[in-house]
Amino acid sequence: MSALAAAVERVRSRERARAPRPNLTIKDTWWRHLVGIVAVLVSLFPVWFTVSAAFNRDNSISGTSFWPAHPTTQNFTQILTNTVPDPASTSYVESHFLRWFANTLLIAVITAVLTVLLGALTAYAFSRFRFKGRRIGMTFLLLVQMFPQLLMVVAIYLIVLNVGGIFHFIGLNSYSGLVVVYLGGALGVNAWLLYGFFNTIPTELDESARVDGATPAQIFWGVVLPLALPVLIVVGLISFVSTLNEFVIASAILRTQGHLTLPLGMHQFIDQQYGQRWGPFAAGSLIAAVPAAVLFMSLQKWLVGGLTQGAVKG
Amino acid sequence: MSSTAAASTAAAGAIPKGALGTRAISAFSGTAGRVMKIALLSFSNALAAWAAYVLADRQDWIPLAVLAAVTVAIDVVYLGPRRSLPAKFMIPAGLFMIAFQVVPIVYTVDVAFTNYSIGHIASKAAAIEQIKVTSLQPPANGEQYTMGVARSGGRLVLILQDQTTHKNFVGDGSGLKPLPPGSVKTNALGVVSAQGYTLLKGADLFSLDKTLSTFAVPTTGDKAIRPLTISSAVEMTPTLRYDRKRDAFVRITDGKLFHDDGKGEFVAGNEALEPGWKTTVGFQNFSSILHDPLVRGPFLKIFAWTIVFATSVVFLSFFTGLLLAIALDKRGLRFQRTYRSLILIPWAMPGFISLMIWAGLLNDDFGVVNRMFHLNVPWLFDANWAKVSCVLVSFWLTVPYFFLVSMGALQSIPAELTEAARVDGGSPPQIFRRVTLPLVLVATSPLLIASFAFNFNNFNNIYLLTGGGPTQSGQPIAGSTDILISYTYKLALATGKGQDYGLASAVSIIIFFIVATISAVSFSRTKALENLN
Repeated sequence: MSALAAAVERVRSRERARAPRPNLTIKDTWWRHLVGIVAVLVSLFPVWFTVSAAFNRDNSISGTSFWPAHPTTQNFTQILTNTVPDPASTSYVESHFLRWFANTLLIAVITAVLTVLLGALTAYAFSRFRFKGRRIGMTFLLLVQMFPQLLMVVAIYLIVLNVGGIFHFIGLNSYSGLVVVYLGGALGVNAWLLYGFFNTIPTELDESARVDGATPAQIFWGVVLPLALPVLIVVGLISFVSTLNEFVIASAILRTQGHLTLPLGMHQFIDQQYGQRWGPFAAGSLIAAVPAAVLFMSLQKWLVGGLTQGAVKG
Repeated sequence: MSSTAAASTAAAGAIPKGALGTRAISAFSGTAGRVMKIALLSFSNALAAWAAYVLADRQDWIPLAVLAAVTVAIDVVYLGPRRSLPAKFMIPAGLFMIAFQVVPIVYTVDVAFTNYSIGHIASKAAAIEQIKVTSLQPPANGEQYTMGVARSGGRLVLILQDQTTHKNFVGDGSGLKPLPPGSVKTNALGVVSAQGYTLLKGADLFSLDKTLSTFAVPTTGDKAIRPLTISSAVEMTPTLRYDRKRDAFVRITDGKLFHDDGKGEFVAGNEALEPGWKTTVGFQNFSSILHDPLVRGPFLKIFAWTIVFATSVVFLSFFTGLLLAIALDKRGLRFQRTYRSLILIPWAMPGFISLMIWAGLLNDDFGVVNRMFHLNVPWLFDANWAKVSCVLVSFWLTVPYFFLVSMGALQSIPAELTEAARVDGGSPPQIFRRVTLPLVLVATSPLLIASFAFNFNNFNNIYLLTGGGPTQSGQPIAGSTDILISYTYKLALATGKGQDYGLASAVSIIIFFIVATISAVSFSRTKALENLN
């Protein structure tokens, strides 16, 4: 970060040198840059030490320094090939990093796509049709989504256990089981968010399409969804990231090492082991952070609009 | 709300017509859509038919009836009259919501009024049988048997040879049958062979350890033969007798009566028989939260900390985010985009990773924070410091969100307003306090409430950083930094002292009412309910 700080310092001195300038402006920019630099330093502090640890030869967290002492890619190799040495024995620590990574991406992508699709269908019905029970349906949706699935983990576990005893494809340790559970939990809030947005799309557009002979399904796919693309992306992204981060439900449903998602696997990997596995853990973290970080950075612009409409990402 | 909605509509308009995404979505509106509809419908019917077959095979008639009704309803809606149009759009989501949101809610409420927990799992009848078996004790002169374990027609049986009379028997859960003399061969290590039976050996046998420990072959009266080791068994006599008329257990030695206490246990004074059974206990779980000092103590502490945690995270993050936005929201400020992108990094990283990394950095023995700043702070191992760490790390994670939101709110304030205030002679602090801040608050207060509700249940931020710890003395479950949701998780799923599903569900319901109240306030403020019309 010192490079950036130096760059900013150069700018500040150049600005000071460029006299005469109104006193107010110099004072103004000075504190703005200071705030910015402090904020950036605080934001990057843990990130930098993760990068440093990932390239450090020493596996222990106490060996982490500002610059990696003997830069190496050994940590990446170890975590990717599940060959992290176990100091307690001569073998390797049990880990399945790539498997966990693939599991997580698969589950999160499917959940996000289906959440958007099913949520949009529901929101469209509530936004465009007037039917008996609509008010009750919406109030119900509103109430149900206030009860997060987190709170019913016991009930969900018992349901999956019992239903999965008959139909294994949605039972314990099955990804499809986890996905259908996630779908049930995410639809309420997302349908509500999409409903608000659909209401802002003028119904005149539907009308003109209808006059041209379009069916409701064609209006949905051909008119409303394309116009709602930005908010669909926001909902999809939020759903993707919250699925990626989800711990509780996944821990109740996925029970064996090879079946875990990243949060479960990485937690098991590092818990109480900061002394020995920090290097490979840091390397794994950097790899694991890539998909979400890339998505967030590239979709930043659209996110702001969605966020102000009530989407929360911790 | 309306201004932001307008902003996103503008964003929608900004998508160029005929963009790839648009075209891809539109493709579903034509023939492709119809083909997909038919394919999906066929698939769901095929799946239902298969599921029906499985259920019928298991004779699960009620689930089968539900399945049939749902399948028929789906077919009617999608192939039927135009009148069912809204249902066509709502069924897919509705099914998932009912199965994995509504049913679990109902189930949670149901469990909250029971004593469902480890030790109270099965039905009363099963508990009575279990108590009978565990009450069996070897008497001083009980018959000793040499034992072998075998399978007969898929069922587990014991091959037994009386050690004094050398008579041979085969026994299972229903009773003892004699075997012809000479058909069972034994040595000092147990039964060697038995005519007509294949004995289980090695790993097969050892894996049955648990099953054998509860296995009993009833003999005369209430006596039963139970395995002592994997190669020997003994006839035991019960120490407890179940009295069906009085619905109570009688201890045979002293005649003490253990009666059904109505709470899922047979008790006599302070003594209770194990196991108990699952039964409805009314409001007992809720009242124990209010009255039982063992439960109330940790609950109130955790409740207070949950409020403190959520409030401080939201306010610290909001004001810091706002400050950052004010500082960096200046036209022509150099490096503005760089600052913005770098400040957003904590937000773009998956939270679970950041949390575990912070847990490492704050480690007090070899953590980077203590070494870099030459501190010696027990960040995660002292109850109070751990709380500070939880707030600080959550703050680090949340600031970018409020920075983004405040940035948006600030930019939506018309420049004329602040300009007018300046012309009227307002100083910058005055303008901020009287004009900017109120306008920002109007735009962001629903988000503050939503963020509060989110952090109130922010399981990950606590569990992945401190695990709820450090542990408190004399408190087996609740750690110093546990918030309600992580406490509930431990109550329900932690091994050892936990697994009290009834109490955990009761706490869940209380959390629901708290969050629902907060949300209700939020919704009444944002007038979201007006959208209903």
